[in-house]
Amino acid sequence: MLPAGCGGRLAAALAAALGDGAERRRELERQAARGRALLGRWDAEDEERQKSDSSSSNGQESRPSPKELEELELLSRALAKALKVRKSIQKTSVEAQGVREGEKAANEGPAPKNAQVQQVPVSSEGVPVTTKVKAVSRKPTSSKKPSSYLLTAPYRTDPDVKKAHRKAPARCMSQAPRTAGKSSSKAVASKQARRHRLTISASNQEVCAAAESQKTDGLSKCGLLEQQSVSLGDSAGGKNLVAAGRQLFDTGKEGCGSLGGSSKKEDHTTEDALGRNSSPQADTLQEKGSRLKFPLPYRKAYSRNSRAWENCRLCQSSADAAAARNRFIERIQTTFCSPMPAFSPAEIEEEVKVLQNVPSLLSQCVEAEHADHPTLQREYESLLTLEGLQTIASQCLHKLQLLREAAESQMRLCPECTGDAGSCCSDSVPPWGQACGSTGVLAEPLLCYTSFQELRDLFALKMQVSMLNQEIAIQKTCREKERKPTTSGSLQVSCTSFCLVLLLFPLLKHALRNATIMCIPLSALLVRAVYGRLCAVLMHRVLRVH
Amino acid sequence: MRRARGRALPGAVAALCRALPPRARPAPDTLRRARFDRPQASSHCWRLLCSLLKQVHGGKWTEPDAIDIQIRFIKSVLWYHGYGRPELYRLPSDGSAGSRELLLAFSWLLHRISLLEQLLARNRVRTGDETSVCTCEDDLTNSQKGRTEIAPEYSLEDKVDVRYLQWLHGRLRFQWRSLHALHQEQSKLLHKIHLFTSGSHMDKILGHFSVTETELIRQPENYKQLLQFLESETMQLEAFLEWKQLEQVYWHWMVKTREEELQKEEFCAAARKTQEAVELKLLDLTYHCAPKKPKMHGSCRLVFRSKHSASKTGFGRSVSKEPISTVSATEVIRELQMRKASLERELKQLQEECRQRMDEIAEGLDGVICISP
Repeated sequence: MLPAGCGGRLAAALAAALGDGAERRRELERQAARGRALLGRWDAEDEERQKSDSSSSNGQESRPSPKELEELELLSRALAKALKVRKSIQKTSVEAQGVREGEKAANEGPAPKNAQVQQVPVSSEGVPVTTKVKAVSRKPTSSKKPSSYLLTAPYRTDPDVKKAHRKAPARCMSQAPRTAGKSSSKAVASKQARRHRLTISASNQEVCAAAESQKTDGLSKCGLLEQQSVSLGDSAGGKNLVAAGRQLFDTGKEGCGSLGGSSKKEDHTTEDALGRNSSPQADTLQEKGSRLKFPLPYRKAYSRNSRAWENCRLCQSSADAAAARNRFIERIQTTFCSPMPAFSPAEIEEEVKVLQNVPSLLSQCVEAEHADHPTLQREYESLLTLEGLQTIASQCLHKLQLLREAAESQMRLCPECTGDAGSCCSDSVPPWGQACGSTGVLAEPLLCYTSFQELRDLFALKMQVSMLNQEIAIQKTCREKERKPTTSGSLQVSCTSFCLVLLLFPLLKHALRNATIMCIPLSALLVRAVYGRLCAVLMHRVLRVH
Repeated sequence: MRRARGRALPGAVAALCRALPPRARPAPDTLRRARFDRPQASSHCWRLLCSLLKQVHGGKWTEPDAIDIQIRFIKSVLWYHGYGRPELYRLPSDGSAGSRELLLAFSWLLHRISLLEQLLARNRVRTGDETSVCTCEDDLTNSQKGRTEIAPEYSLEDKVDVRYLQWLHGRLRFQWRSLHALHQEQSKLLHKIHLFTSGSHMDKILGHFSVTETELIRQPENYKQLLQFLESETMQLEAFLEWKQLEQVYWHWMVKTREEELQKEEFCAAARKTQEAVELKLLDLTYHCAPKKPKMHGSCRLVFRSKHSASKTGFGRSVSKEPISTVSATEVIRELQMRKASLERELKQLQEECRQRMDEIAEGLDGVICISP
């Protein structure tokens, strides 16, 4: 068991750290969700919203349930298989065969054959399918046709669908014009349909082209794909996929083309296809990112705002104003209690913050110089370096001393001091994070990165630094008794660190001791020490040679 | 000249008031009344100064406290920045007096900490992907943790099992790992958005949109409030510009305020001597106020600038267009690496100390074998 106070403090510190981390995670997840939403399909969300509007009016819409998504998954796998099959039988003329097979299989219920049978009458209706098929391979521009193939919810929830699977395609056709009227997202759906057809065309170009040259078989298969693409092309991604899926599933679907599984996958393939085909109806950030513009009112406000910032940044006080201001400041500062300490608490804190890093830097340099030096010149260089470091160290110590004095007199002046040094004003003043200079303050600070790797490293390093800070704080909690960190506390720490640094200088320690005892100027002593060491080294070399 | 100044004074004071943030904007009349030390203006002035100072110190807007807490806060902040006028610190804590003192202190702060500029910068409408460059918020959280009371569930009397602490520590480490993954994902998403929208921003220095801006384009109706903030900020900036042109008048007015007060006091030789001593100290102070190496601090907007595009711009886009306060990620990375290295050293040192103490304790225990986890 740990001593009671320490254990409790540690536990509290760890718990607080966990709480901070949880908050950070929440914030990150929120931001990631925003980013993901922007990188996905923009109008998918619009349709979702429109759908939810229309659903509130006709109350037909609902989300695909997990079961439906499962069926969707199965459908897509089946479609993938079908595509493989199709590719392997491109050249064969199987029109009659197909019909026969279809009739045979009608009882068994394999989907493509079945649908094929149904497709025959459909294609005999002729125009819609044919034009669509042609359109597939030629990148269609018309947008009217697809809407006639919209499958909307009423179709899906219609209990007759499951039973009359044979008639399903025809029903689909006949229903479509009705439902097309109902749907409010026709145009969008048609866009999607077109896109899907483009997808198909991109990936199944050969197939469809071959299909054209074929008779019923190719036509039917393509038509089937078409139908499925259209059904997929409906809005509210997945719902009517489900409808088609269920229908085909019920008819024992095999071999259907691959048209992606979940709507997300759909998006990616769509994106890729679009990337290749550069459709003007791009709805992802990737496609239209470089063409985006602010809405007009915002654009105006933004340009006015940035102009105002720029003017403020560049404007300066006139000389007269500066003179009048200085006169006021002088006068008011004459009324300050005298003698004022040399540093204000804000300045003390700033200086100490800078000085806190110095001991570790100095000790690093000193350690570097401890290594053995092969040549005389190197030895001399090292000694000179040590001398320079010593100068810096003593300057910093002097500064620290001044700061300490100023801090003490500031504490005396402190208005709320009740005698408990270090626990009053520094507590009630929240941190003051001063930016650089007053003119610099008005410029928008930018952090530029040049590659994804850099950004990643930046985030990772920031996180590691935060983590290390936290670890150190926790370690210190183990160590501390009841001490509260204050300005003077950090001053003490800095002083101790400096003393430690000095102890690492064997030369300096020696020199300092002698200086205090004999009151000889430090530099002279150091020179003597250096000279002495040089002589020693020379002697050593001479002896070694001999 | 004096008459011209007299006419310009209301304009100057009004501009100053309009340049302050909307939440803490006094009426010009308040300042005028303060100059004449009207007690009615006192409590209003205290509250005003408190809310201004809270905005530049610490930043979190909390519910306004009682007047005596506000006064204590103001006095602490003024002390912190080196305001040495004893009359202010002697003011009563009920806020019944001191409007003139507050006006003097406010004017001193205007110059000393560039109060207006600080307020503008801190309240700036930020639409970019903000990333902090320094780790000050870490130091803040950690030091605050050290100061707060122990949480009630861990009272001093309870003994805490080491295994529980180890478990907490393990959970913390796991949390950091998942945060790391989240950060990586976040950087990927940001980079994609920056890349995809390159070339669209009307400000060519920025070049691309941020997440907020892209969302704004996608769904402008969600950001109506942002537009309002932007417009109000523009008005504030224009007021600041106006103030800058008229500030001379204000400072003259303040000097006269001071003079009026001086005439009330006895002007003895001691005061003259003090003046000389202070002038000497001011020399020292100016030396110490010399600009140090400018260090980036605070929150910056993240901008993606591929090396390729940088070379494309060529001579046409000269460097003079570059704002002063741009920092490259390379510098920040380097600084962070140095900081990370020094922190690792410190941590190692602390752990070594801890280990030594453990060894000492272990030696003291007879017949006990310590098994490390």
